[in-house]
Amino acid sequence: MKEEGIELIKDGKRLDGRGFEELRPIKIEVGVLKRADGSCYFEMGNNKALAAVYGPREMHPRHLQDAKTAVVNYRYNMAPFSVDERKRPGPDRRSVEISKVSRAALDPVILKEYYPKTAIDVYVELLQSDAGTRTAGINAASVALADAGIPMKDLVSSIAAGKIGGEMVLDMNAPEDNYGEADMPVAMIARTDTITMLQMDGRFTKEDFKRGLVLAKKACHEIYELQRAALLDKYSERAGEGGEE
Amino acid sequence: MGLDIVEDIRKDYVYDLVGSGKRIDGRGFLDYREISVERDLISKAEGSALVKLGDTSVLVGVKLEPGTPFSDAPNKGIIMTNAELRPGASPDFETGPPNENSVELARVVDRGIRGSGTIDLEKLCIEEGEKVWMTFIDIHALDNDGNLVDAAALGAIVALLHARIPNEHYGITGADDTLAIRDTPVAVTVVKIRDAILVDPNLSEETAATSKLTVISNADGTLSGVQKSGREGLKEDEITEMVDICIEKAGEIRSKHLG
Amino acid sequence: MMYKVVVPGDFISDEVDRAGEGTYVDNGKIYALNYGIVSDKGAIKVVALSGKYVPTMGDVVIGRIVELSYPFWIVDIASPYEARLHLSDFSRGAERRIDFSSMSNYLDLGDWIIAKVQKVDALMRVDLGLEDEIKIDDRGRLIEISHTKVPRVIGRSGSMIKMLKEKCKCFIFIAKNGRIWIKGQDENMNLATQVVLMIANEAHTSGLTDRVAHFLDSYEEKEK
Repeated sequence: MKEEGIELIKDGKRLDGRGFEELRPIKIEVGVLKRADGSCYFEMGNNKALAAVYGPREMHPRHLQDAKTAVVNYRYNMAPFSVDERKRPGPDRRSVEISKVSRAALDPVILKEYYPKTAIDVYVELLQSDAGTRTAGINAASVALADAGIPMKDLVSSIAAGKIGGEMVLDMNAPEDNYGEADMPVAMIARTDTITMLQMDGRFTKEDFKRGLVLAKKACHEIYELQRAALLDKYSERAGEGGEE
Repeated sequence: MGLDIVEDIRKDYVYDLVGSGKRIDGRGFLDYREISVERDLISKAEGSALVKLGDTSVLVGVKLEPGTPFSDAPNKGIIMTNAELRPGASPDFETGPPNENSVELARVVDRGIRGSGTIDLEKLCIEEGEKVWMTFIDIHALDNDGNLVDAAALGAIVALLHARIPNEHYGITGADDTLAIRDTPVAVTVVKIRDAILVDPNLSEETAATSKLTVISNADGTLSGVQKSGREGLKEDEITEMVDICIEKAGEIRSKHLG
Repeated sequence: MMYKVVVPGDFISDEVDRAGEGTYVDNGKIYALNYGIVSDKGAIKVVALSGKYVPTMGDVVIGRIVELSYPFWIVDIASPYEARLHLSDFSRGAERRIDFSSMSNYLDLGDWIIAKVQKVDALMRVDLGLEDEIKIDDRGRLIEISHTKVPRVIGRSGSMIKMLKEKCKCFIFIAKNGRIWIKGQDENMNLATQVVLMIANEAHTSGLTDRVAHFLDSYEEKEK
């Protein structure tokens, strides 16, 4: 996976011209799906993620219900046309792992006790992929959960830090991810700087890792502001002063 | 059900003990259970290792077979890691397609080996573009008393270190019969219970823990894998403390069992 | 009064003793639990703008019979939780004994009823009771909005719903679970439906009652 080959840093800049700590452009739309209880379309560079939340709803099969809380299910899926080389439809091992860690990224903030015996189903579709898809998915899912009216303590934001061409950077695109030395996807509650997802792949030093955490924290704060703004935006027309019931 | 209640009681027990600075089996917070490593016990496999961490038991087998390389890496061998949580290992394991826990286990162990560059994949090339060695690392959990990943990762590296490439069997002459192993990644898992960090959780501790972190580090102290799980978050300083502990413990394990 | 929209995790106030529904307290501060509007009178609450209806005792709901499961009718109440109606509730007095085969004579699959939530237990079993044996008949129309918008359709002290009934010349019954029964002449029901949906869409805005009144008046004008 970590290949040698192309020069990722040239004259102190990344191949797409970004600074080391610069995120790709982000676009967020809330409530884009009619049938889902909550939804969010999230673009991060060339990543296009669509999150749909259904629930709380009756949980089937019954024997998997939890008598005291809702069960949160997260399914990450990449569309076959989302990548350069067509991906066979259906869950592969990578999607299974990503679904697991993504669910764990959101679990800590959801007030599951409010809806015993139900299921809260989160479906994340990657319509186009350019590295960092799991982080785009979590960002989208967090907004979609709010849109669905699921009570949560906080929003969760996510980004990948990494090492490419000897430099620690944020938000790698596909070539950077493929040819870089290491990548670490992180999810965080921006308000409390609590980390709810953390993985690392590749090879770097403990100091690189610490630096990665610091960079990720900064990026998650930025992303949080955008998530929040998108949610507020949905109701901003004509929400104004002076009024009665 | 009955099992849940027993688990709840044990969870509280673990919790209370930690509050008084103790663990169920009397270990220190930073102590591993007794580790035993037995290798080359499966003669049909090219490499094998049985690792026991206390009552947790994992058998790792390495099989090597010639195969076609990937088109984007014509001169590189292939590593494939799989994990089976056998039903015999725990009342919670079922037969059927791999569930998320076994998938995660395999991928984390794989990451540690791949990220560290442990196996020189170019040395596994038999004929560029045509034939390369495929290295199958199969993790077989036999008995689950917590922390399968550390046992599996240790088993994998031991099995790889002593694996024999079956050149003769496939009519290949004049080649090395050991894998070119360049590093010794070691996985160390810690959990957070209340405010304490515990190394090598047994099953009760794994269940009682609010967070779990696995850190895979190499001989020179660099990291090749990190995986967080668990239902609560962690703070930055907790994570850095855990990483420091894991690197240190990895060094101890390396010198004792991979020397 | 400003309508302030908040997202989960937003800081609202330091006055922790006033923390109400839709909020939580952490380290001496009140934060939002819901994506919704802050209500500041008395308790500090966040009224959710979306979300599923969870029944509580005393709620009056409109439900639909989805299963005959002697001795209960199972009722869909637009919630993740199903409700049930015991047949003794339907038969007043001991003389009328209903057995499984005659259940459908009283209430059949697909029938709509108005009922009151009598009890919700720890296992989320919801028991309904019929108030006046009201089965919703074929006259009229049933619409469904998010239960979160119901207070807006009712209005402060019922002011909004009163205006709707008068100006649309319809019978309108709004249940807690977001289902609404409208009865009247076709054009009047159309108008009422349109206005209800308008209120639901703009529930988060201020000046709504005036806008609705204005809309209804200008409609009346056009009709003349």
